[in-house]
Formats: sequence, C-alpha cells, structure tokens
Amino acid sequence: MRRGAWHQCGDRSQKLVIEQLQHNAGVGVIISPRDLAYEKAVAYSQEYRQLGADVLIDLQFCYPEFTNPKLDTYATSQYRTSISQLHQISDADLLAFMCELRTEVSQLATSAIIAPAVTYESGRPDIVQLNAKLFSAAREVAYELNLPIYATAILGQSVTSSQQTTDTCLSDVTSLDADGWYFGFEFSHQERIPSVQESVLRCCVAGLRLVTTGKPVLHAYAGPMSLLSFAFGATAVGIGHWQNLWQFTPGRWEAPEVQGGGGAAPPRYFSSQLWGTIIFPDELTQIPQPLREQILASNSPFSPANLTIPWPRWTANKHLVYCLCSQAAQMAQITPAQTNAAGAISILQDAVNLHQSISNHLTLADNTAAYQSNWINALNPHFSPLFSLR
Amino acid sequence: MPYIVLLDQAKAAFPQYDFINALTPSEQKAAFHVLDQVGQHLCLKIIAPHYDIDRLHREIAALQSLDHPNIAKLKEYTYSSKPGQLKYFIVEEFVEGEDLSTRLGAPWPRPEIARLFGELCQGLEAARKLRIVHRDLKPSNIRVKPDGTPVIIDFGVARHLDLPDITDTGQGAAIGTPLYFSPEQFMGTKRDIDHRTDLFAVGILLYQALVAQHPFVEPGVTLHDSICFSNGYQTNASFISIPNTWRLLINKLLAKDRGSRPHSAAQVAAILQRIGGD
Repeated sequence: MRRGAWHQCGDRSQKLVIEQLQHNAGVGVIISPRDLAYEKAVAYSQEYRQLGADVLIDLQFCYPEFTNPKLDTYATSQYRTSISQLHQISDADLLAFMCELRTEVSQLATSAIIAPAVTYESGRPDIVQLNAKLFSAAREVAYELNLPIYATAILGQSVTSSQQTTDTCLSDVTSLDADGWYFGFEFSHQERIPSVQESVLRCCVAGLRLVTTGKPVLHAYAGPMSLLSFAFGATAVGIGHWQNLWQFTPGRWEAPEVQGGGGAAPPRYFSSQLWGTIIFPDELTQIPQPLREQILASNSPFSPANLTIPWPRWTANKHLVYCLCSQAAQMAQITPAQTNAAGAISILQDAVNLHQSISNHLTLADNTAAYQSNWINALNPHFSPLFSLR
Repeated sequence: MPYIVLLDQAKAAFPQYDFINALTPSEQKAAFHVLDQVGQHLCLKIIAPHYDIDRLHREIAALQSLDHPNIAKLKEYTYSSKPGQLKYFIVEEFVEGEDLSTRLGAPWPRPEIARLFGELCQGLEAARKLRIVHRDLKPSNIRVKPDGTPVIIDFGVARHLDLPDITDTGQGAAIGTPLYFSPEQFMGTKRDIDHRTDLFAVGILLYQALVAQHPFVEPGVTLHDSICFSNGYQTNASFISIPNTWRLLINKLLAKDRGSRPHSAAQVAAILQRIGGD
C-alpha cells in the first residue's frame, strides 16, 4: 500500500482526480462503481495509472442491496442483494462471484483487492460471518492474482457508539487474515466534521488497533480527518471533496434529487491554517487584511484569484482536495506516528489560535471552529501514551 | 474418558509396526511409540470411532499440508475397510526429546526463552497461514528435541477455521485443557476462536518459563474467573522484576480480548527476536 493520499471517488470526481494527479497530488485512486459505468472505470483506471497512481476499487457492498444503473454495469453487482440473502449465497454463486471479481480487478489492473463487506453493526454476528465469507472469496482471488488483500472494516454507528462495541467488532475484524485494512469509522450524523472528543479518540484508537496488527491501514473516507489518520499510524488516507465522507447512511447511496445539491450556497474556502472552511468571499471580506492573508496562505494551484471574482464551487472542491492531499503527503514522509501526532496537534493549535483571533471580528458560520480543540484534546493527553504500548 | 486400546490389540491390528510402548491416550486417540519396517521412530495414533470421519478427513488434509520444522509431521492417515478392525489411524513423526513441562519448574535464561518461543511461534505462524488453530497448546504438547528445537505435537483438537468443527462441541468453544484456556474458550462460541486463542496459551507458557508459576492459579479464585477476569498475575513480585519489554509482551498475549493481543504469531516471533536477551 503506497503511503500518502488516495483519491476517494464516488461523487462525479473522476476528472477532478486527473487534475489532482497532474499536480502531483495523491498516490492512488479508489474507484467507486456507484457513479461510474464499468467500461469508463476501466478507461479511467488506465489514465490514472499512466499518471503514476495506484488504483483500487471499492465495490461498496456497505449497503449490499443498493443498486443503480451505473452499478448494474459491473458483473459483481448481480450479487447485490439483502444481507440475509447474501448470507445464504450458494457455493456455486460464490464461485461465480469470485470469477466476476477476478475479471473486474484484472481489467482495472488494481494494485490490491479490497474485499467487499457490509457495514459492521453492533450485535450482528450474521454480518461478521457474511463479511468473513466474502473476505475468504476475495482472498482466493487475490492469491490467484498474486495481489494483496485488504479487509474492509467499515464500522457503522451502532458499533462506534461505545468503546466496548468497537472493541468487540475489531476483535472479529482482526481475525481475518488480511494483508491490510480498509478502515472506515462512522460518526454521529449531526455534524459535518466530528467534534465530540470521545468519538474522535475512539476512532483513533480503533485505527491504532488495526495498525498494531502490523498490516497497513488505509483510513478510507477520511477527508479532513486525514490529519488524525497519520497520528494513529495509518499508511494511507482516502480523500474526496465531501467533508462528511465518513457517513454511511443508506440515503448517502441514493442519487440526489436535485442536480448539484446545495442550491445556490456560496463556496467554502478550505484553509489549511484554520483546518476548516470559511465562506468565500462573504466571511473573508469581513476579516482584517493581515488575518485574511494568513487564512488564504496556500500553495494550491486552485486558490481563488481574488475576493472580487466569483469562485466556482468545483474549483473550491479541487482546492480542498489539493490542500488535504498536500498535508497528507507531508505526513506520509514521516514514519513515527508519534511525530505525526505532534505535528497534527501543532497544526490544530495554530488553527485554534487563528480562530480565536477571527472571533474578535466575526462569528464564522458552519460551526467550523467547533472541532479543532477537541481533536487536540483527543490526541494530546490520551493518545500519545498509547504508542508506548505498541 | 481416554480412548483405550490395549497394546496386544494394537499389535494385532498393526503388524507392520514394532511397538515400543504406549503413550498417554486422549479422548480422541490411543497413541503408541512404534518403529516402522525401516526402523523409523513414529507415533501411531488410533482414532476413536465416535468422531465424524468426513470432517476428520478434511481437517487431516489441511494438516497434511503443514510442513514446518516446529510442527510434528503427519506421515500417514489411513482407514481400513476390513470389518471388525480398528479402522482409523494416523502416523506422525515421533519427536525425540522431552516435554516442555520438564523445563517449567524454574526460570530459564531469557535468551534461551526468546529463541525457543520464537521458534514455537514460527510453527504457529505456519499453522495460522493455513487457518489452523491448535486450541490445546500446553507443555505436554510441545516437545523439545535434544538440539533444543521445539516441536508442536498433537493437533488432535485443532480446528481449520474455514471448515466445520472436527468435534461436536455444540455452540461452545470449550475444547482443550482448561489450565491453558483463553477467555474465549471459557466464555465464547466457536466463532470467537482464532489463531489468537493459541497466542493466549503462548502467553501462559511464556509466563511460566519466566516466572516458574502459572499466571492464573490464584488462591481463592476459580481458574475460570482468574483467566476471564483477573490480572492478578501482574502484581506477582517475580513478574514485576522481569524487564519491561517482556512484561509488555506477556500483558499483550494475556489480554482478555483477543483483539488486543498481537495479531499473529509471526509478530510475536519478531518481537522475541528483537528483545532477545533483554
């Protein structure tokens, strides 16, 4: 698994990814079949690889019964069905599924196989068994193709709501004989970016437990939380243009009713210095020049030219992805997780200080200053000592 | 109840072997130290007839693929169709040497412990790669050859995780020897058993090698409660006096939750190699 940022596709971002790779942002791409027909996926995969990226496909069996016309173009999608029906899959069908999986990953020339898996839920041994069955099937294919096999460990909210349920689930997950982990952690849906210290700490500890297996961890759907991923020792992070990538509600998988979503809301500018967003240009114009310059400092090629020219939403997305990839690339060069934890705390502390300065002039919308100090509190007193146990 | 086959009865059923002596039988098998026609020392195990032979066949097939210097080799598995005869038997490499139990009376030098347990873990790793869990790792199931090589024997209650269980254990996981049970063997279901179950037993054995006491035999506490709930061993003065890295490793191996234990025997072997004689 290549260290660094992986582009997490899934929301019409295939071309955005090409642009990012052309700017050396990201080392890999995780293709999503949900919004990309199979033939196009094969073509994009080739293009990504030509740009030097590794490619994976996340078949997104999180909600296995979900389907749409794009998904239907994948042969493996014929096995999408309810959890109970999938659980009863016959040996012959499982074998056929393995054949289709082999064809798909071969044609996409992926660097590893992400085993399909349903979102883990608390008190559901049937899901544990089903995922073990799907993993075994994918592992056979991986062995045959001489590819690493990554177990999918997407922990749903019923699992992540307590330490005990998280621990129990991870005990089951880590019994799989995987070469790496494709890890996702779902938070409460109340917030765009999680701010509850206890939950953030739990996510980091869960990631660390996977890291201590000695296998690489791809923190999937991490987005802005990727700052914390390298602090718990992740090898790679999944980054996309959604800030709340980590949500796995069934509704997430439905096509939006209105094209574009979000109506005419102004774009958000992601500031690495704030480690958060600020409304562009409305909020920025209300901030004194020296502070504004601090907020806007960026090496992103997608930064806005100035505050008077409208900034398209997709460019804002590109800017967000570039900033996150840039930071991930820096952290990926540092191997001791403890150093990355200290680095993350430093970035977050600077962000807290900057937010405090801004608060003298303006209260930012979107609750964008709500989480940085809690992330520090999650990392600082609790997390660093854990590394001494490794 | 051990499965008993009289020596004379065995000799009559297996005339191709010279019988040296009877070995300790288990519930599943009667065992004999024998010589074959070329003078090779072997261990003949006659399997009790009440086991599900189809499942046994599948698990034996998995065991046959295990070829590792730290695991006793399965030489032959045969069943006879002659009516009225002792039907099923397996022939294993006979491992010269002594049981690990003979070495656990007093603490040994740590470099020697690191070497022996490192090799033991390499054997377990080979089994793990084939998804086989021993489930009954204990001193008498580890032979130490005269050259010091540890060899794991008696995969009699081993489980291949991808196959149905060899024995009819219902929902429970309680198979093996309670003194070396893991919490999940006491309390869990078969689903909870995986290679980390063996690592818990390794933790107990390692503790015994370092401290010369069993970590969970505590006065006034049942073995069940001690293994499942107590970390009283951590306050043992002899344990406290060993180097921190060793204590840390043992604490990880003896974690109640298998998810908190090392992920693989290979990981433990690597740690042992690193800490060596610390």
